[in-house]
Amino acid sequence: MSSDLAALRERLEAQVGAGNLTVDGAAYAVDGMVPALVVRPGTQHEVAEVVAACSEAGAALVPWGGGTAMAMGNPPRKLDVVVSLERLDRVVEFDPDNLCITVEAGMPLGRLQALVAERQERLPLDPPDADRVTLGGLVAANQSGPSRLLHGTARDWVLGLRVVLPDGTRIHCGGRVIKNVSGYDMNKLFIRSFGTLGIITEVTVKLLPIPATRATVLGAFSGFAEASSVLDEVQASFLLPEALELLDPAASDLLRPVLGLDISGAFALVAGFTGSQSTVDRQVRDLEAMVASRGGSSKTFREAASDQAWAAITNVQGGADARRVVCQVAVPIARTASMLASARTRAAAQGLTATVTAHAGSGLVRAAMLPGANQTEAGALAGLAAVTEALREEAVGVGGSLVILQAPPPFKARVEAWGKPGSSFATMRRIKTEFDPQDLCSPGRFLGGM
Amino acid sequence: MSNKVLVQELRRVVGEANVIDSDVHLQLYQYDAYLEERRPDAVVFVHSTEEVSRVLKICHAHGVPSVPRGGGTNLSGGTIPFKGGVVLEMIRMNRLLEVDKGSLRARVQPGMFNLELGQALAPLGYQYLPDPASQKAATLGGNVAENSGGPHCFKYGVTTNHVAGMTVVLSDGEIVELGGMAPDTPGYDLTGVFVGSEGTFGVCTEVVVRIVRLAEGVKTMLAIYDSIEKGSETVSAIVAAGMVPATLEMMDQLVIHAVEKSLACGLPLDCATVLIIEVDGLKDDLEEQTEAIVRLCKEHGAREVRVAKDEAERALLWAGRRGAFGAVARITPSYLVCDGTVPRTTLPLVLKKVAEVGEKYDLKIPNVFHAGDGNLHPLILFDWRDAEQKARVMKAGMEILELCVQLGGTISGEHGVGLEKMDAMHLILSPDDIQAQLKVKRAFDPADLANPGKIFPAVQEVSHVQ
Repeated sequence: MSSDLAALRERLEAQVGAGNLTVDGAAYAVDGMVPALVVRPGTQHEVAEVVAACSEAGAALVPWGGGTAMAMGNPPRKLDVVVSLERLDRVVEFDPDNLCITVEAGMPLGRLQALVAERQERLPLDPPDADRVTLGGLVAANQSGPSRLLHGTARDWVLGLRVVLPDGTRIHCGGRVIKNVSGYDMNKLFIRSFGTLGIITEVTVKLLPIPATRATVLGAFSGFAEASSVLDEVQASFLLPEALELLDPAASDLLRPVLGLDISGAFALVAGFTGSQSTVDRQVRDLEAMVASRGGSSKTFREAASDQAWAAITNVQGGADARRVVCQVAVPIARTASMLASARTRAAAQGLTATVTAHAGSGLVRAAMLPGANQTEAGALAGLAAVTEALREEAVGVGGSLVILQAPPPFKARVEAWGKPGSSFATMRRIKTEFDPQDLCSPGRFLGGM
Repeated sequence: MSNKVLVQELRRVVGEANVIDSDVHLQLYQYDAYLEERRPDAVVFVHSTEEVSRVLKICHAHGVPSVPRGGGTNLSGGTIPFKGGVVLEMIRMNRLLEVDKGSLRARVQPGMFNLELGQALAPLGYQYLPDPASQKAATLGGNVAENSGGPHCFKYGVTTNHVAGMTVVLSDGEIVELGGMAPDTPGYDLTGVFVGSEGTFGVCTEVVVRIVRLAEGVKTMLAIYDSIEKGSETVSAIVAAGMVPATLEMMDQLVIHAVEKSLACGLPLDCATVLIIEVDGLKDDLEEQTEAIVRLCKEHGAREVRVAKDEAERALLWAGRRGAFGAVARITPSYLVCDGTVPRTTLPLVLKKVAEVGEKYDLKIPNVFHAGDGNLHPLILFDWRDAEQKARVMKAGMEILELCVQLGGTISGEHGVGLEKMDAMHLILSPDDIQAQLKVKRAFDPADLANPGKIFPAVQEVSHVQ
């Protein structure tokens, strides 16, 4: 440890207490880069002190919530300090009558859901690893799940934020009312800013009443064309599914034991419905009929079984294999199904093992790829890179993008995590420079090495 | 720099007839629905993104500010050329460029009226959800600039929730694409940051909006109350019962009288307040939702609840609500609309306090507002020729905004800060908060030429030095 960092360590220790600082950063490595210090401030004020100290010492920092999105982004250009928000996990104010809650950024989403459920309310966001993802992380990395079809993403639910800027200044954005145009909409700037503009320390979100009932219909089809045509039919109908997922045969086979499917190798279209008994029943009926008319077989899950089905589907591409490459392709909604088919074909052509799923009504396709059984390390890496680059080119060609959600360091050295920046990049750079002139907050992690 | 040189250069780009610089014509562009007036040096009719870019390059070269203008329906002075310069008249960029039903997006030019877009989409079975009450005359570009709301926000959100991307021209003439037809464009969410920036970041020349299917069914109710407290208590009761109506609108007696005088919608003149409640969605449970809401209204003191029997009755109810501002304008020479927003449950209290403010300053203050959102619109009536009365109005308005902030709310729900609420910004933002917002302003518009002198008192001070 350099003498500068030793001095910083002393200062941070004085701020947060020796028990909340460690020099063993192995568990907090970012793309293989191990931080010299991990500090766990206990209050928002302490976060500000820590950030100010890092700023004065010229130390680069990365904020850390539940760690669920740390595999995203480019490797940091520099990393001295990880600021863990795990101790900032308190409720600041829960106002159930106004459907609104304010929590510290380290509060895990699962805990928030359990808490507001006591008053029959929920935050309708359902990213993977919902038990671990923190509210701050959810916002900073713009994590979402299947329910974004009906409910959108963090940007549609965040009412207010408190943020510590890169120089340690504390600001607040928005408020706790559902309409607010008092000055610029600063919430939007920090949502999906990936820790590059400061550290989110407090989040206010609006909530919804828990629906009276919920059900999930899974349609299984032997062919892609049938699944895809039912998807089109649902989207052109009056039905209002909360979620609409398309799963390739590899993904649906992984789910067979959990969901009790009786056919293998099926393309699955899964729709979630919530609301009153009469609307849910009608939508289940309509979808079952659409599935049957295309020769598919359907299975319907209700209430708790419906929740379990979604938990399984949302996490189907998880796993501990460090060789895994997961990418997310964003395209105009009408092109989602064909992009799923393309990802599947391209991965197979390179001999890779892939599971491909799509938020079919939202324009997002996720491909999780692993080297094939007989591939060499170098061969697999080349194949993975080739598929990713080809998919990216295809997506960009229709106005979309591809981002890497997870990949081993050698892959990231080869393929840019976010793709090529567009015409707005100069403005983004100016924003970054205005807020973080020393380039100390998650340096290099974001688009264009920003 | 002389005006003549500027006007000559502008004419070279857009043609002789598309630049206005005669006094008579410029006068038409020196005001909007707010109370201040400033005359521009020139008005330029623009027709394309490239033209806007060329015009802004000229302005940039001469250090001349510019303000884009749509319908001019904003209520906070957003379109007033506070520092003079060029007004960009956007109204001819009014085409619907593309409707992609499969991708649930439409591409539109900013000069199109909100209502026109709705009318173009409806025959296809689709709709664009944000519906400001002024939708007949408010343009989509203006909606983007002000992050407009409307009666349907309670369930469906405001403009920002329905804008997926846009083309903008920065004040140096650079053309920039934000967001687009596909979701989750990598990088900062500049689309989200731009919406609601009140023309101070640049000029929006194309918008990609989210469209959705028209609802399968809709039911509209009118609940009539003899007490305003009872009416506002019902609003919270409906939400507490786990229901999410599409609209929860409220009008008080003064507004009802004004509406009846000018539109004759059949509203009862002897009641204290009415709620317009609408539920929409799949037709299967609309009856049961309607019955539940009628029951709740009655439990909370409604003397009568009418359910619109058909589209004609529904249209009549909405004509009354949408025409409310216009109707009030007929009974008073001027009014100031306060746009404060509060947590919904404080509505009964805040309405009582607003009435007290009216008494204190001896002013009439009718109320028509988005109750579900907690977004008030007390209309302070006055006569602009009476300077003393106007001074009282400004004081009363500020007091109402302070009240909203004290109750956990904010100073503007949907009308923007503009010139009107600059002095109220300190009520909700710390100096550090304001400095952070100014960083974003500088990143978009380093030369401070995009609608300068708005939103932040600090920017105004800076621009006065020169």
